[in-house]
Amino acid sequence: MNADVFTIKNLDLHYGTLQALKDININIEKNKVTALIGPSGCGKSTFLRCLNRMNDLIDVCKINGDVLFHENDVYDRNYDVISLRTKVGMVFQKPNPFPMTVYDNIAYGPRCQGVKNKDKLDKIVENSLKKSAIWEEVKDRLKDSAIGLSGGQQQRLCIARAIAMEPEVILMDEPTSALDPIATLKIEQLITDLKKNYTIIIVTHSMQQAARISDNTAFFLTGELIEYDKTDVIFSNPKHTKTEDYITGRFG
Amino acid sequence: MKKNESLFMNLKKSLSFNSKKEFVDFLVRVFFLICTIISASFIFIIIFFIAREGIKPFVTDNDGIGRVNIIRFLMGTTWLEGTVFRSNLYGVGFIIVNTVYITLLALLIAMPVGVLTALFIAKIAPKKLSEILRTTVELLAAIPSIVYGLFGSGVILKIVYDLAKVFGVQSPGGNSVLATVLVLALMILPTITALSEVAIRSVRSDIEKGSLALGATKTQTNFKVVLTSAKSGIFTAAILGTGRALGEATAVYLVAGNARSGPSLGLFQTTSTLTSTMLQGLKETIGIDYDIRFSVGIVLMIIILLTNTILNFVKRRIGKVDVK
Amino acid sequence: MSSKRKRIDNFLQFITYAAASIAVIVLSMIFIFVFRNGASLVNIDLLTNDYHAKYYNGGIEEVTEFSQTPKPNYLDDEDYYSEKWGIALSDEINREGKMVVIVTFVADDSPLLQMFDKNNLDNNDFKIEKDNIITSISFFSKNSALSMYGAKHMIGELDTVTEFREMVFSSLGGGIRGSLITTLYIIGLTLLIALPIGIFTAIYLNEFAKKNKLTNAIRSMIEMLTGVPSIIFGLMGLAVFVPLTVKYTPADSANLISGSLTLAVILLPVVIRATEESLKVVPDDFRNASLALGANSTQTTFKVVLPSALPGILTATLLAIGRIIGESAALIFAIGTAIKDDISIFGKSTTLAVHIWSLMTDEPANIELASTIALIILIIVLILNIAVKLLSRNFVKRFS
Repeated sequence: MNADVFTIKNLDLHYGTLQALKDININIEKNKVTALIGPSGCGKSTFLRCLNRMNDLIDVCKINGDVLFHENDVYDRNYDVISLRTKVGMVFQKPNPFPMTVYDNIAYGPRCQGVKNKDKLDKIVENSLKKSAIWEEVKDRLKDSAIGLSGGQQQRLCIARAIAMEPEVILMDEPTSALDPIATLKIEQLITDLKKNYTIIIVTHSMQQAARISDNTAFFLTGELIEYDKTDVIFSNPKHTKTEDYITGRFG
Repeated sequence: MKKNESLFMNLKKSLSFNSKKEFVDFLVRVFFLICTIISASFIFIIIFFIAREGIKPFVTDNDGIGRVNIIRFLMGTTWLEGTVFRSNLYGVGFIIVNTVYITLLALLIAMPVGVLTALFIAKIAPKKLSEILRTTVELLAAIPSIVYGLFGSGVILKIVYDLAKVFGVQSPGGNSVLATVLVLALMILPTITALSEVAIRSVRSDIEKGSLALGATKTQTNFKVVLTSAKSGIFTAAILGTGRALGEATAVYLVAGNARSGPSLGLFQTTSTLTSTMLQGLKETIGIDYDIRFSVGIVLMIIILLTNTILNFVKRRIGKVDVK
Repeated sequence: MSSKRKRIDNFLQFITYAAASIAVIVLSMIFIFVFRNGASLVNIDLLTNDYHAKYYNGGIEEVTEFSQTPKPNYLDDEDYYSEKWGIALSDEINREGKMVVIVTFVADDSPLLQMFDKNNLDNNDFKIEKDNIITSISFFSKNSALSMYGAKHMIGELDTVTEFREMVFSSLGGGIRGSLITTLYIIGLTLLIALPIGIFTAIYLNEFAKKNKLTNAIRSMIEMLTGVPSIIFGLMGLAVFVPLTVKYTPADSANLISGSLTLAVILLPVVIRATEESLKVVPDDFRNASLALGANSTQTTFKVVLPSALPGILTATLLAIGRIIGESAALIFAIGTAIKDDISIFGKSTTLAVHIWSLMTDEPANIELASTIALIILIIVLILNIAVKLLSRNFVKRFS
């Protein structure tokens, strides 16, 4: 059994005439936290969205190369994109709870998959909220609107919402960039806990964050994958001078 | 043959689904697409059916009355109801002149009043007052045209009748060009005011500040800088007002007097517009008096289209000057 | 500041103030006019009565036992009372503005209750009631008492006889029950057609369609409908929907369905635009989050996007109702102008607005009743506008 969840081979991505990703080759390890770092506009978020095909929503986006999820090409025309998205969850930069109750937010995904049983939904909601370390804070307000939660709580709710689908992989697109330091700390703790059960791929702007929580780190620059290695290697002994320049703060 | 087959295969391929959910998704999309096609098709349905009915008087014998001459129809100065007079003398020439004339006069009244009201609401009035005025304008816009018609025949006709007496003219119940113009001006006033206000409010405040810093008074700034900067938006208001005035039917019918010949240029003469003519002879359900309404409808649509095109052209010219 | 500059300034300021006051003056004039002419007729009876008066010809056998009831205290000097016949009459102006003799009281033991229907001897429900209008009473040996001579004369004539040949009386009439019901029917039918098609079109254009030239072309085709005057829509209804409904429904001429279809087309661009606007306000975050959770675009649209856009759609519905209530020109063609009391969706009838039109084009025009209906319409429009304002204020709050 291959320990790699994703295998990406020769991935090119164009937005119209602009090439956003150039010949990306990378393997994502199971039950590890992989951090994607690089300056703004380097393509790391674009790459992340390739993994659950959220780029499909952009009309002008063209993709070449292979994105293998457990050795199946997700860009194959017969690949069921909806089941892919249930297995590969996503958490966005800005907390984006639906304007519904806390409960309905978590139950949304399972309901879309046809889960109607009330007990089962209750259990899913409770488990997901517990796993994302927010249960104690919201267990008395399940029927309140999720909009009333604080930013950090909202983001953990969004993580719980993704967990409710029991995905294998959770993609996180700068999940803490809109949060204050304390809320950020809580999310980071949560990520370290979650990696026992899930494979996590996180885009981050903060190199400290990447160093703190990730096992592997990939450095992107202008659409290219410059370097990909164990996180301590990248931060202590980078092979590429551009990587070194970036993490020592010489640009970016 | 082969080409057809491969096309079929392609279709089949694109119609194969990876899950039941995708299939439902596809069905919903198709259903929504059908709704969209229905919505988009009505403009063509309108044009097609009105043209089909409206062309009949010019190409058929009209049950022995004889074909209507299209040149005489467009240039004519009398409108005789065919089946009553057994004639094919239908002329809309004078009605076209009346319609354009009345619209122009209504615009001449409503434009300055509307634009100045908009200026007052947007720039001069204190916040509370401008809120009240804005609501007033919204309410005026929401009043149905038949109520304006009722108001016209109950109030404006009397005023015009008395006014005519002052000038020594015997006006038939007040039904006249002037009454029609006043009613139409009232009706397009809220449209013009609301749109002009939006245009005036969107003028950047740094332009204003620039003018004030040069020692201009508030009033000078409003008239010389704000209004000229909002020119394009105000023109749009005029275009929409014109459209509404040209197409207004029931209110006009109640105060126009429905003259059968013309054109009527005197303010106290009775008049008729394209729309009021269409509302005459309602009881007909067949024959030339039924069909001819559609012919008038075609003329009305062409007039609206023409004025719109011309005004938009003028607007673009004005816009160009603005850039300089 | 030079004095000339100041004068010009003051002048410009003055004409601006004057212009602004015109809007207020006009609105108040319309309200005052409608209120003064129409307010006197507004009551519950008006809303529940038939428009067309029903006429009855009552005959009576020679009366031997007369009424014993004295004149009730609440009747005043304007009510002329015949103790013998147990009936009070008074002169009033009816909803058409004509002088009529109206029954203001009928005693329980009035011999007039024994009248029979001369046109239908089997009619057992036949009786004269309060608020009936007496047109004439004809006697055997003297001239008839006509309503034009007034109530006093009629009572005087009645008191001298013990029998009469015929009493012609009618129900009050002039009510707007039929038009009220028609308006409700039309609102329901039109929304039933316009809302789904309009909302689905908006969803397709905003959520599913690719952003290309074709989509823009479709959008501008729909937008073009807003520039078409309603009388043209009326012609289309006459040429398309009337024949269509005559063919496929029991209707045999213009009818409520053809009218509703026509109105639905008028409303389509309104509904589509308002829905699209409110869909645009829903943040893309919601759509992405839902899709990332494995929902397909249909689920995303119905479960996340539409509920968020609901207040906007509700606003559009209220605006649409306002437009339906006010529309006259299109309906004159698409349903006709015949005022009816018994409403069928397959028959002709008038909405409140067209009712005004019919009254105003009658000879002579009935401005009083028309103003009353206008007053009702204005009140409804006022309420709708306030509701729209409150709704959109909440909607803006939610996303900002």
